This record gives sequence, C-alpha cells and structure tokens, in this order.
Amino acid sequence: MRNSRSSFSWAVFATVVVILLAITSGIFIFMKKSQNSALFNADLNRDYVAVIGKSEKSSFWISVSSGARAAAAEYNLDMRFIAPDSEEDYVSQNKMIRDAIDDGAKAIIFSAIDYNANSAAINEAIAAGIPVVVIDSDVNSDGVSCRIMTDNYEAGRMAGLQALEDNNGKLVIGVVNYDINSANGQERERGFCDAVRESGRDCEIYTINCPSTKDDAYEGTCRLLEEHPDINVIAALNELMSLGSGYAIRDMGLKQSVDIYAFDSNVISVGMLETGEIDGLVVQNPYSMGYLGVETAYQLINGIQLPSDRIDTTTTYVNYANMYDIDIQRMIFRFDE
Amino acid sequence: MGKGGKRASFSLSDAMTIVVVVIVSFSVIISLVVFNAVFLGSMQSNAITTSEQSVDQVAVTINNYTDDMLQIMDRLYVNSITDPDSQEELFEDLIDIRSDVVMITTYDIHGNNTGIWSRYDTKDLIYTNLSYISIADEGSDGLGISAPHVVSVLDNNYPWVVTITRNTTDGSYSNAAKIAIDVKFSGIARYIDEVGIGSHGYCFIMDDNGNIVYHPQQQLIYAGLKDENEEIKDMTDGSHMSDGVIYTVKTLNNSNWKIVGVTYLDETVNTRVNYMIIVSFLILFSAVIVSFLSGRLFSHLFTKPVNKLTDAMRNFEEDASGFVFKPIAGAIEVNRLSDSFEHLVMRIQQLMEEVKEEEDTLRKTELKALQAQINPHFLYNTLDSITWMCEEGKNSEAVMMVNALAKLFRISISRGAELIPIEKEVQHAQCYLQIQKFRYQNQFDYDIKVDKSCESFLCNKITLQPMIENALYHGLDMIDEGHIDIRIYPDGDDIILEVEDNGIGMSREKIDEILRHDITDRHGIGVKNVDDRIKIYFGDRYGITIRSELDEGTCVSIRIPKITEENVYEK
Repeated sequence: MRNSRSSFSWAVFATVVVILLAITSGIFIFMKKSQNSALFNADLNRDYVAVIGKSEKSSFWISVSSGARAAAAEYNLDMRFIAPDSEEDYVSQNKMIRDAIDDGAKAIIFSAIDYNANSAAINEAIAAGIPVVVIDSDVNSDGVSCRIMTDNYEAGRMAGLQALEDNNGKLVIGVVNYDINSANGQERERGFCDAVRESGRDCEIYTINCPSTKDDAYEGTCRLLEEHPDINVIAALNELMSLGSGYAIRDMGLKQSVDIYAFDSNVISVGMLETGEIDGLVVQNPYSMGYLGVETAYQLINGIQLPSDRIDTTTTYVNYANMYDIDIQRMIFRFDE
Repeated sequence: MGKGGKRASFSLSDAMTIVVVVIVSFSVIISLVVFNAVFLGSMQSNAITTSEQSVDQVAVTINNYTDDMLQIMDRLYVNSITDPDSQEELFEDLIDIRSDVVMITTYDIHGNNTGIWSRYDTKDLIYTNLSYISIADEGSDGLGISAPHVVSVLDNNYPWVVTITRNTTDGSYSNAAKIAIDVKFSGIARYIDEVGIGSHGYCFIMDDNGNIVYHPQQQLIYAGLKDENEEIKDMTDGSHMSDGVIYTVKTLNNSNWKIVGVTYLDETVNTRVNYMIIVSFLILFSAVIVSFLSGRLFSHLFTKPVNKLTDAMRNFEEDASGFVFKPIAGAIEVNRLSDSFEHLVMRIQQLMEEVKEEEDTLRKTELKALQAQINPHFLYNTLDSITWMCEEGKNSEAVMMVNALAKLFRISISRGAELIPIEKEVQHAQCYLQIQKFRYQNQFDYDIKVDKSCESFLCNKITLQPMIENALYHGLDMIDEGHIDIRIYPDGDDIILEVEDNGIGMSREKIDEILRHDITDRHGIGVKNVDDRIKIYFGDRYGITIRSELDEGTCVSIRIPKITEENVYEK
C-alpha cells in the first residue's frame, strides 16, 4: 500500500508544481505588462512620446502642440514638443530624432522639414523599434506607421475654386510659394492651378518661390506685382507667405483690386481678413494633427489596431462672412493666447 | 484472458498525461476567468472613482473661478449704485489689477456701446462686437454668463473670453444699463485640456442644452473627425456607463454649465487578455510536454518494467523449469515486485525439483518393495523348511507352511496396489510370523492386538513385515523366549502401528543407522524404505519412530493417517 501511495503522490506533486509554476508565471507576466499600461501606477511610468515639429513659434505649430498636449493628458503620456528655431533647419531635427531615441521615446511624432534629408534619422528610429507617426509633412521612409496630414492638393483646389467663384472675367494669378522642395507647397500649387485650369476660364498663372520668411514673401509679392501689374488674384501658400503678401498688398494699396487666397491663419492674417487685404483663408486643423498624432502613438504603443495608416485632417475655408461663426472661431482662434 | 468486460486500451502513462493536461487546462482556464472577472471589476470601480474625483475637482475649480468673477461683478454693481462717479476709476483699477479681465464694456438700454476699457488697443474700425452679440439672457437676478467666444474689437488680438453681464436697470449710472466684463477663458481651457482621467480620459464643459462650451477636442469635433456621444445631453448628475466608457456628469451650482468626465475602460485590456490567452496556451503546451516527459519517465520506471515482468510471467507459465529470471530494474515498487516474483520462481522451481526427487525416490522404493515381495533368500529358506517338513512327514505343518507362504505372496502383491487394508497387512504379518516361527523352531512367540475400528483403514503394504524382520534379526537374534508384541490402535486422526520386542535393544547409533541408511541386505527391504514410502504418501509428520533400551527391548512405532478407500486420493 505504501508503494502505490508514494507513486500517486509523486504524480500529484508534479501536477501541482506545474500548475503553480504556470499560474505564478502568468500573473507575473500579467503584472509586468500592467505596469507598462500604467493602470496601477498612473503617474510613475508614463510613456515618453516625442513630438518633433518644424517650429515652436508659428501659430500653426503652437496649435499642433496644444492638440498634442490635450491628447497626452487624455492618454496619460509624457509628451514633449520640440522644434528647431528655423523652419529650414532639418539638421537640428535629425539631432532631435536621435536624442529622442537615446531618451527612450516609445513613439516619435514627426513633421519633416526636408522629405529626403530627414529620412536617415527616421529610419534609425524605426530600426530601433520606435514607431513613427508623420504629421503635416511627409518624410521619405517606408517604415512610417501612420501619416496624419492635410490633403494639400484638395486644399489647393479649395482655394482655386473660391477664387473662381469670387471673380468674374479673366484671372491673372500670382502664386507666392515657398521652398520648392516642400511637397506640401507643390501639392497646394498643383491643386490651385488644376482647379483654375479645369474651369476653362481665361487665365494666366505666374509663380514665384520665396524662402519661407515673411520679409522674403513681401519682397517676392512686390516683385511679382511689379512684373505683372494686371494680377488680380494671389495665392499665398503658407502662413508666412500670407503675411508677406498681405502686407505687400496693404502697402501698395491694392486691397480692392487684388484678392488674396491664403493658407493657414494667425491673428494678423485674420485681421487682414476683416480689413479686406485677404479675401479667403484655407485653414488647416493643426490642433487635430497634434491630437491625432499623439492618439495614434498611444495606439501604437499599446498594440491597438490602427483604423488606417493615413488620416486626412480637414481644411476649412474662412472668409469675412463666416469668420465669427462659433465653430470657425474655435477653428482659427487659439485658446491659449 | 480477455473473456471478461472491456479492457482499458491506454497505458498508465497516457492516462497520467491526460489527467495532468486536463487538470492544468481546467485550472488555467478557471484562473484566467477569475482573474479577468476580478481584474475587470476592480478596474471598472477604480475608473468610476477616479472619474468622479477628477470631475469634482474640475467643478470646484471652475465654481471658484466663476464665483470670483461674480463677486467682482457684484462689486461693480454695488459701486454703480452707491458711487457712480468713481465707476470709470474702478474699471481702470480692475483692468490693472486683474490680468484675467480682458475688457469691460458698458451699454445703454438700446444696446449701444458706451465705453470700452481694456489694457489692449482696440481696432481702428470695429466691424463686429462679439462681446455684445454673445451676451446671454439674464436670469431673474440680472446676471448672465455667455458661452466662450473671442473678443473681436481688439487690434491683432483675439483672446477667448466669457462675458459676464449685469443689468443696472435703475439707471443710477448715467448712461449704462448693462455692464459686461470679458474674462479670459484660456486659463479654464488650458486647465480642462490638462485634465486627464485614469489611463485614458478627459473632461469637457457643456451647457444645460447640451451644447459644448469647451471641449479639449473641439477642433476635431467641428472638423467631423470625432463625435461626442449624443446620450450625454440627457444624462443626470452621477456616473453612467455605456460601451466601456464611463461618463461622469456634474452640474455647477452657480452657472448653467455641466462638467462631463469621459473615461475609457482600458482599451489595452483586450490586448492583455489575448496575451494572457497566448501565455495560457504556452502553459498548456509546456504542461503537455512536461506530462509527456513525466509519462515517459513513469513508463520507464513502471510501465515498461511491468510489461517485462508480464512477459517474464508468460514465459514462466510456458516453461516453468527451464525459466531463468533476470531481475527487472525500475521504480522501487517494481523492484519489490520483481524480487517477489524472483523469490516465487525460485520457490516453485525448488518445489518442482523436490517433487521430482520424491517421485524418483518413490519409484525406487516401490521397486525395492516389489523386489521384497519376491525376496529369494526368504523364499529359498522357506522352501527349504517346507522340503524338510515333507521329508520328516510333517505333512500338516508343511501344508500350513505352504498356505502361509501363498497368502504372504498374495497379500504382498495385492494386484499392484500400494495401499491395502490394515486387516490384510495384519494377515501378511501373521503369515510371515508363522513361517518364521516354524523356521526358528518356536524360539519366540508373538501377540497381535488390533483395535477393531482400525481394520478397515488403509496402510502401505509391507509395513509391518520389515519391522518384524528387524525385531527378529536385531532384537531377538541371540535370546530365548523372545516375544514380539504387535499393537494397532487409533490415536486421534491417526493410527499407530507398534512392533515391540523384548530383545537386546539398540544403541542410538544403530537406530540412526537403521533410519538413515537404506540397508538392502539379503533380509529384504529396510526400515528406511517403509519410512520413505509413508512420508512420500502422507507427509513428514508421519513415519517411523524407534524407542529402544539396551537389554530391555525395542519398540518401533509407525504413525499413519486414517485413510479409507474413499479419501485415499485426497491425502
């Protein structure tokens, strides 16, 4: 009898050991996993997410940063917004990407100043297992997890269609574009010109590319208007181009004869909208880019399936008539001013 | 073998593997379910508590903020009644002191702007005044709080504000029927933006009509990229759960605003549950491997040796005597089993050897007994005696002699039977004694006493005759007036046959020699032959014992069981 009992207890012992081992390891792994998701210690172990923009000063990027901050609060992430001093400085951006890798970022949200020159650093981050979300401006990399940006071609078309609607007769168009290497600017120009050309209306289009500063845009617009005094429509393709063109028109006293269709907004361009230098603003949704960028990063970090690898943020057309509508107010006026 | 019911068709180690796997999977599944239930439950109540705490905190902050503003408004209102002349001074002081007061405006009864006080420059030309357009309907106390809007009258500056208004209908202040203070909203907006609830949650402000006053994601909502749940409008204060989202609503007590907290139950739960399931399957898989290995070990220690043992037993069954057992190694239990079987095999083989030897002995002793039946010396001597009697004319004695001899041989042959009735054996002894008495000229006499009850039992034939012969040659050889007593009587379940003489007796050595050695001298079969036959037939507790006193006599006592014709084969 003793024998049979001892062999039975051996089997029972083995079984119990296996079960206990299984359960403890399961719980251990589970707890470890739970720590990452910060359920039990909400503030201690927040995941670091880096948002690397093009500028800290422009109204557009301040809104991006606000949206990112709101999403970081909502998703309990440690978000840091960083950007170079100049919108031309892709070298600093590359350094920021590498710093983020070194600092243990769980995700990088990135907007490329240069489509090609930023790609090496971004590929390094992807190779290090850090998911990358691109906002606003794309970068040349296959490994980007999600792209959140305006459909710039459609934005350009929107401005083009408004120009056609507001003006009768022949259109003489001056396009004030920024860096020729910027995909966004080229897309907007293409969309604008396509919309005008497809209408079949009589038109002439003159394009000038200026460095992305207000003063260069001012000079560029003046030169363009001197060369082609019959211009009656100007397309200013970003925030700084809008300001430069607006000031140029104001100083040349041409606000009645020349319509400006501008992109992005700040308080000055909105003021110009009210005073009449600028006739229409195509406003992107930078707050959404920041917010959705961080939200997507959260989903990537926690292994939640993304609904799509591309999100088009909307654009809104603002003119004098609708600028104080409550939803337009919320779109164009920042809350943190 | 195999005649009975169904036999299990799997081995012990298979059964063990199955049991282990079943137990492990059950416990893994149960722990998974329990863990999840407990985990989800505690997570939900945690989330509700966190959400309510956060919303309460937001409500307190915003209440304090609006209270503060309402107090300022009270101060302005009271001042407008008691000291209207200092009103403008007060406005300017207020603008100076309170950085969150963006602008103070006054309006006459027709809604015409009668004054703007602000730290910022106003526009040269005011197109729109949102601060007036946004004015909310006043309640019975003449106070109103607008929804947030931008100030549209400042140059290149569009701060978000809430306009608080108060009617001063008594007209005590010359041309102001309404005072409006624009209070910066960015503080509240930023505060709301930074409120996170739990691992994923936010809060927003809604008025009592369900319109959003401020929402951290309002740009997304207006752009159509997000929707807020429509049901929130109808929710009462407290926490509500819908589709894994907890909505906590709290109405502020000094305005028509509500704070709504939105908390998502951890979306990563599903990922983690999947992870748990994968881990569980890994555990199950390893349990299968472990139990398979332990099954192999078990089989190595137990099943295989047991199978070997079974084979060994089958071989032993087929060839018991030629079988050589090699001990089988395995678990302690198996080793014990193997040892026991080895012992069993040895014992059986030993017994078989003994049986075989006994059979050999029996054959030999029976052969000798058979030879004794026709012991030639005895026959010659007897025939010599008969011849002598005939020559002497002792015809009647010769006849007796011949009769006795004939009877002696008839009984000793007994148609080949080994066991004969005691009655016959006694007759055999009598015939032998008669013949010997003639031959020894009545030198001895004898007495036979047989208990009647013993006559019908059986005994080995030629049992008494060798004893008598022994008594004649070793006991009475040299003495006159020898006497032989033969007694047969029952002793419990046995019968005792005694042959006693009053001769010279025997030494212990002599007795041992007689019992131990097969003396096959010319006098016929020996005492040992008889003893052997009795022991072979009936067992060791039966047989011959000899008591002897020198010069007193010898008593040979034979013990046999009571055997009848009926039970002869049982013994």
